[in-house]
Amino acid sequence: MTAGDANRVVLPDGTATTWRALLDGEPLPDPVAVLAEDAASALRAVRRHVEDGTELLVAARSRVDETLRAELIEAGFAVPSYGVPAHRAAEPGRLWILTSGSTGRPKRIGHTLDSLTTVREAQPPRTWLCPYSPGTYAWWQLVTLSLAQPGQDLVVTDPATLDDWPRAAAKHGVTAVSGTPTFWRQSLHRHGDELTTVPLSQITLGGEPVDQPVLDLLRATFPDARISWIYASSEAGAAVVVHDGRAGFPASWLDRDSVDRPRLSVVDGELLVASPHRGAGVPELLHTGDRAEVTGDRVLLPGRISGDEINVGGTKVSAGAVREVLLTHPSVRWARVTGRRAPLVGQLVSAEVVTDGTVDTALLQRFAAEHLAESAVPRRIRVLPEIPVKETLKSDV
Amino acid sequence: MNSIDPPATVSVLDRDQIRDLMTQVLAAQGKDLPSGESADLREIGFRSLDFSELALRVEDEIGRELNFDAPGLRNIRTVGDVLDLLAELQDAT
Repeated sequence: MTAGDANRVVLPDGTATTWRALLDGEPLPDPVAVLAEDAASALRAVRRHVEDGTELLVAARSRVDETLRAELIEAGFAVPSYGVPAHRAAEPGRLWILTSGSTGRPKRIGHTLDSLTTVREAQPPRTWLCPYSPGTYAWWQLVTLSLAQPGQDLVVTDPATLDDWPRAAAKHGVTAVSGTPTFWRQSLHRHGDELTTVPLSQITLGGEPVDQPVLDLLRATFPDARISWIYASSEAGAAVVVHDGRAGFPASWLDRDSVDRPRLSVVDGELLVASPHRGAGVPELLHTGDRAEVTGDRVLLPGRISGDEINVGGTKVSAGAVREVLLTHPSVRWARVTGRRAPLVGQLVSAEVVTDGTVDTALLQRFAAEHLAESAVPRRIRVLPEIPVKETLKSDV
Repeated sequence: MNSIDPPATVSVLDRDQIRDLMTQVLAAQGKDLPSGESADLREIGFRSLDFSELALRVEDEIGRELNFDAPGLRNIRTVGDVLDLLAELQDAT
């Protein structure tokens, strides 16, 4: 029995069910890695965990390659989809999350339902679209919210139905959507006015750096919605939640001690988080590896520290900073900035963009030159027809 | 600067084609490429970043990376030096 048992859960094929009804079938092996072929089997496994305390890892089957599967089997998990039984004692109540792998191979981070349930205050009734891949931290955030609070319904997508989410959202009365900035950019680019047919009262962004242009675009499209962005990771848990429609978070939140809230600090340009929501075994003070810049009254989080730096003839250029400038151009919907090996200077700044078609690359380069040092101006710009999105809804920006 | 998409590649660019790309690199900055090959690169404002960009443009056109280790870098002072080097690098790659 869970507080959200009567909440509606709409599966990708349009079938409406409830958490209570998902508690069907036999108990799972324990511990178990459920490599889900579909959203329903992932949700069923979660509901069984709530009932039985099964030690559980859920992940979309497509995210688990052969090496990772062998690691899970070696770690003692049963993998029913491959006929592998468990071969160690289970840790009751333990949940495992695979990191997105955007900074290397996916890692297993230990959590519990309690550590993943970060929204505890009563929420207005909402029907959430859940576009995330099963088992990711953001997916768990929506799942635990729906499990814990009456009135928090879920409409779940899968890769086959994701592109058409506005239609499903309108059909099933979705009022809240959580997605990565890449998901939102792609949606705004692809669906345009169709989005306004979905009466959203809550928009949430997370999983990637959140920049002001995407917040502004969403505000223009959904003038009445509350727009929130969340800084969260499998390791740190949910650490920052901002509702004021501005990128970054208030600098006054730094170095603030509070019983229930994570302690945030910036040391040598890196965000450090001490969070009560962190995963098991994660250091109390986590070096996030994310760049943090205190600008006026805000702390901006433009991207990762490692991998962000492009060395152009000895001048260090931040890929995140260049990307931010490109995204301020009103015609640019998405941008990725990388270093490209080049003679004489080692690397040149290169960019891939998706635009609304009203700007060419020469104009975009001149725009960049007006806002950036010469070495930071992208010398090669490639226009992509679509925003590339991975299964995690991120895009390696 | 033009989009590098789609990459319609050719096997080797001749000097005139490389010169066209050089013109484009300078034009993006509001500069002109003088006729002939004797113009001094410093005088026309063609610098390391520009040369690097030109090399990438050549790579995009021919669909492969240039091997700058092959001939060893030499003193590049004029437009002709740039055209010589990039023509030679394509042959060496």
